[in-house]
Amino acid sequence: MNTRQNMLSRNWGTYVFLLIMSIIVLFPLIITFSQSLMTNQQVNRWPPPLLPVTPTLDAYNTVFSQPDLKLVLWLGNSIYAATCYTLAVLAICTPAAYAFSRLKFPGRNILFSILLITVMIPSQVTLIPNFILMKDLKFLDTFNALIWPGAANVFGVFLLRQFMQQIPLELEEAAILDGATYWGRFRYVILPLSTNAITALAILVFLGHYNDLLWPFITMNSLEKRTLPVGLQILNSAYAGSYRPIVLAGSIFATVPIIVFYIIFQRRIIKGVTLTGMGGR
Amino acid sequence: MSTIETTQGAVVPKRRPFQVRLSTRETIAAYAFLAPFIIFFSVFVIRAIFSAVNMSFYEYALLKPVRPYVGLGNYQELFSDYVWWIAVKNTIIFTVLTVAGTTTVALVSAVAVTQPIKGANFFRVLLYMPQLLSVGVVGLIWVWLLSTQFGVINYFLGFIGISPINWLGDEYTVIPALSLTTIWWGFGFPMLIFIAGLQGIPEHLYEAARIDGASGRQLFFYITLPLLRPTILFVTVTGVIAQFQVFGQPFIMTTGGPGRASYTVIYYLYEIAWRSFRMGYGSAVAVALAVIMAVFTLFQFRVLGQRVDY
Repeated sequence: MNTRQNMLSRNWGTYVFLLIMSIIVLFPLIITFSQSLMTNQQVNRWPPPLLPVTPTLDAYNTVFSQPDLKLVLWLGNSIYAATCYTLAVLAICTPAAYAFSRLKFPGRNILFSILLITVMIPSQVTLIPNFILMKDLKFLDTFNALIWPGAANVFGVFLLRQFMQQIPLELEEAAILDGATYWGRFRYVILPLSTNAITALAILVFLGHYNDLLWPFITMNSLEKRTLPVGLQILNSAYAGSYRPIVLAGSIFATVPIIVFYIIFQRRIIKGVTLTGMGGR
Repeated sequence: MSTIETTQGAVVPKRRPFQVRLSTRETIAAYAFLAPFIIFFSVFVIRAIFSAVNMSFYEYALLKPVRPYVGLGNYQELFSDYVWWIAVKNTIIFTVLTVAGTTTVALVSAVAVTQPIKGANFFRVLLYMPQLLSVGVVGLIWVWLLSTQFGVINYFLGFIGISPINWLGDEYTVIPALSLTTIWWGFGFPMLIFIAGLQGIPEHLYEAARIDGASGRQLFFYITLPLLRPTILFVTVTGVIAQFQVFGQPFIMTTGGPGRASYTVIYYLYEIAWRSFRMGYGSAVAVALAVIMAVFTLFQFRVLGQRVDY
């Protein structure tokens, strides 16, 4: 008890700061949720109402009943595309990372240098050529456009390579003595030992894709194929002026899955992000 | 030397368990593992980069079949395109404000959550949260918070006697407003990096300094900050690279306005390529951006990369 009081009194400045930061972080989300439970007239008022006096689900009813707003479908699209994309990244990058981290072959350094150079080039340089390629392949407005162009994820290779390099060689040597093939060494030694890094990468890649805006905006045009962030833009441009609470309701609808996901995976997400940051050091 | 005697007394060469020299089998295996990556990487990254550079020498209208070679014409046009220079200026101001703000907030937050306090991990998790939201959602939320007429931010500023500011409608406040939004959204990532960096500083340095009678402020400025220099370099370099490519915030919150006061380079690229369908000129914009970013990154390494040894 005494030490706790002591700790509190010594660190009161830190607590005050963290409390203020928490309010700054949470307040925009809380006010958005709060105002999404109001009517348009209530929201367009000065001073801005902070709490709903008579909470109403009007905005949510409207947002789910408008024929031009398919939020549930868009959420499904986002999850589907992000899942496929994540699987593609893992399938392509994990074996590549294994080759870079554990095998010796001519051209390894040159190939790796090429990867390093390309990360210096902003990905927007590839935007126009890849868009034209998607158009030529008739991939526009199909999920192929959201899955394949980013599947060779250099960042994923770096992260996994970094991790696999730290696995002790002895473990693989034991498998070699047992006569394991390269595939066997990868599949039964390295892969099981890398699950932490692979999970971290999967989560980060999934979230990055789920939240992406520009690429799905230019490649997915039809109402049924939009992802959630793109759909929200349409919602915003169509309704922000006439009915603000439904824009806020849409934002909350898009935020809730992410926050639930975060609460479930927070430990892994934080670890994964830290791992990637250390990889860049 | 590398022989072992078997029980029969025969001498056989010792099998070396992990061979360092290149073997054909290993090379074949390596390229088999790399094949999918190399294929996708070649098509969507390498080919695309060369294609962008190549296209920037053509007048490439998406809907016109004739695409004449114009040499450096697109770059000449770019050089005298005042909208491009507005976009560059806005992007640089936005980047400097955002990276400076994000780094400061992230560093102070990281120091706070690494103090030996109860609930430190809770605060860490909470402060990282905005980073996970889509820029689409962040934009929609902040447009309304920053609204001149009904915005909560102006309401609170009223309490300290500041009259309502037309945040997103005034050419002088629009970039700082977008920057503020971005700092709120993005300080979580550098915060986690700083936390890892802080945990890498040996505790005995602080102990020694405390014995010498150093104050908390001295500890921060003479131990923490110098030893964090490589982390600060990493955070600012990655921050500059990320913020230079800002698109979502102006796209959602201002559509580049008022006038062109919040045009950024990628927003302008989007306008050129997907509103005017000028793919050649758009490619020139993208290539020019890559060059500017490379210069900025080198500059940062020179300024911040010095005196990393202590």
